[in-house]
Amino acid sequence: MAEIIGGIGTSHVPSIGVALDKGLDQTPVWKPFFDGYDYTKEWIAEHKPDVAVVVFNDHGNAMFLDRVPTFTVGVADRYKPADEGWGPRDIPDFIGAEDMSWHFADKLVENHFDPMIAREITVDHGLQVPMELCFGRPKDCWPVTILPIWVNTVQYPIPTPQRCWDMGKILRDAIESFPGDERVVILGTGGLSHQLQGARAGFLNEAADRDWLSTIARDPDKWRSMRREDYVEKFGSEGAELIMWLVMRGAMNSDVTVKHTHYHLPASMTGAGCIVLENT
Amino acid sequence: MSNNTPIAQTPLFDRKASIRGYKLNKMAMSLGEAPNRIAFLADEEAFLDSYGLDDETKTAVMSRNWHEMVRLGGNLFFILKISAVDPTPIIAIGAAQAGMSVEDFMVQRLGKKNG
Repeated sequence: MAEIIGGIGTSHVPSIGVALDKGLDQTPVWKPFFDGYDYTKEWIAEHKPDVAVVVFNDHGNAMFLDRVPTFTVGVADRYKPADEGWGPRDIPDFIGAEDMSWHFADKLVENHFDPMIAREITVDHGLQVPMELCFGRPKDCWPVTILPIWVNTVQYPIPTPQRCWDMGKILRDAIESFPGDERVVILGTGGLSHQLQGARAGFLNEAADRDWLSTIARDPDKWRSMRREDYVEKFGSEGAELIMWLVMRGAMNSDVTVKHTHYHLPASMTGAGCIVLENT
Repeated sequence: MSNNTPIAQTPLFDRKASIRGYKLNKMAMSLGEAPNRIAFLADEEAFLDSYGLDDETKTAVMSRNWHEMVRLGGNLFFILKISAVDPTPIIAIGAAQAGMSVEDFMVQRLGKKNG
């Protein structure tokens, strides 16, 4: 059976991708941010996953407002990086873990989740940036296949934190019942605090971000029972993306070991950070 | 969840905003395709007209009034594609909505050191 080797929570700020495209990652502004991912990359190199499950939201690139699925599972054999208005980025296509994706879709529906199932869809910075932060920038092909999960965090109503957590439980069952010996890492992405819209634009909350990073491992109940309104108030309107980390956290043991945390403020207009967890 | 318990200065992209901003967001999303960017740059007003934008929304787009675009139902993730064509840095968009100069915004909101 396939195996979960760890969970990673990380920001997916688009400016991180731009900084890599422009070769700015070693400049004084960006170096402290990127240095915090050295361990994450080493951990990946040491643990050699075969599949990355990436939980993220589309940012008006692959999905319009004509239909807004609360959850989407990708079952494609290949995903092209989205053009977000700046032109195509020079990164390889992502290869889909098709069989595991379909198995996950089966398990979700059996367990009364009703996702959209997507066969032809691009992936935007929400997936690209976490992959680059964990796996570097390969020339030709990524070292893992991907199982993408999109969560609607753009148009309200967005799902509840508890629902994201519950999806994580089914994700775990799906991976552990998948006939294969794949090593799977789960990336929960988004956040931390940021707000891009309205007169409160630029809102950051370092105290809340640090509280999140220091308690998501040992006390996730506090976060999964919190109301969406409270996420918006505490982390900003776009900071509510943090609910997507709960899919990853819900898929892990209740007892986990924190291998690494990193926090940097600000990356562009966002409190940015990373955590690496292993099941205890 | 709706705006029953509004959070100050924090517009949620809910039913009302999504309906109000539908055409604006649709126009903006189309800029993810290169031919549409060329058409937008060649004749912006004609491009906006082809998406049926009303005068108020057209004025907001053509004057790059980001606060107004959001008030009219624009969602930042869509309208950022307008900023990509310009290009306008996202920090300038944040500062405009906060009603601050970019410099003040960097210091007061983003905690950057002065100078």
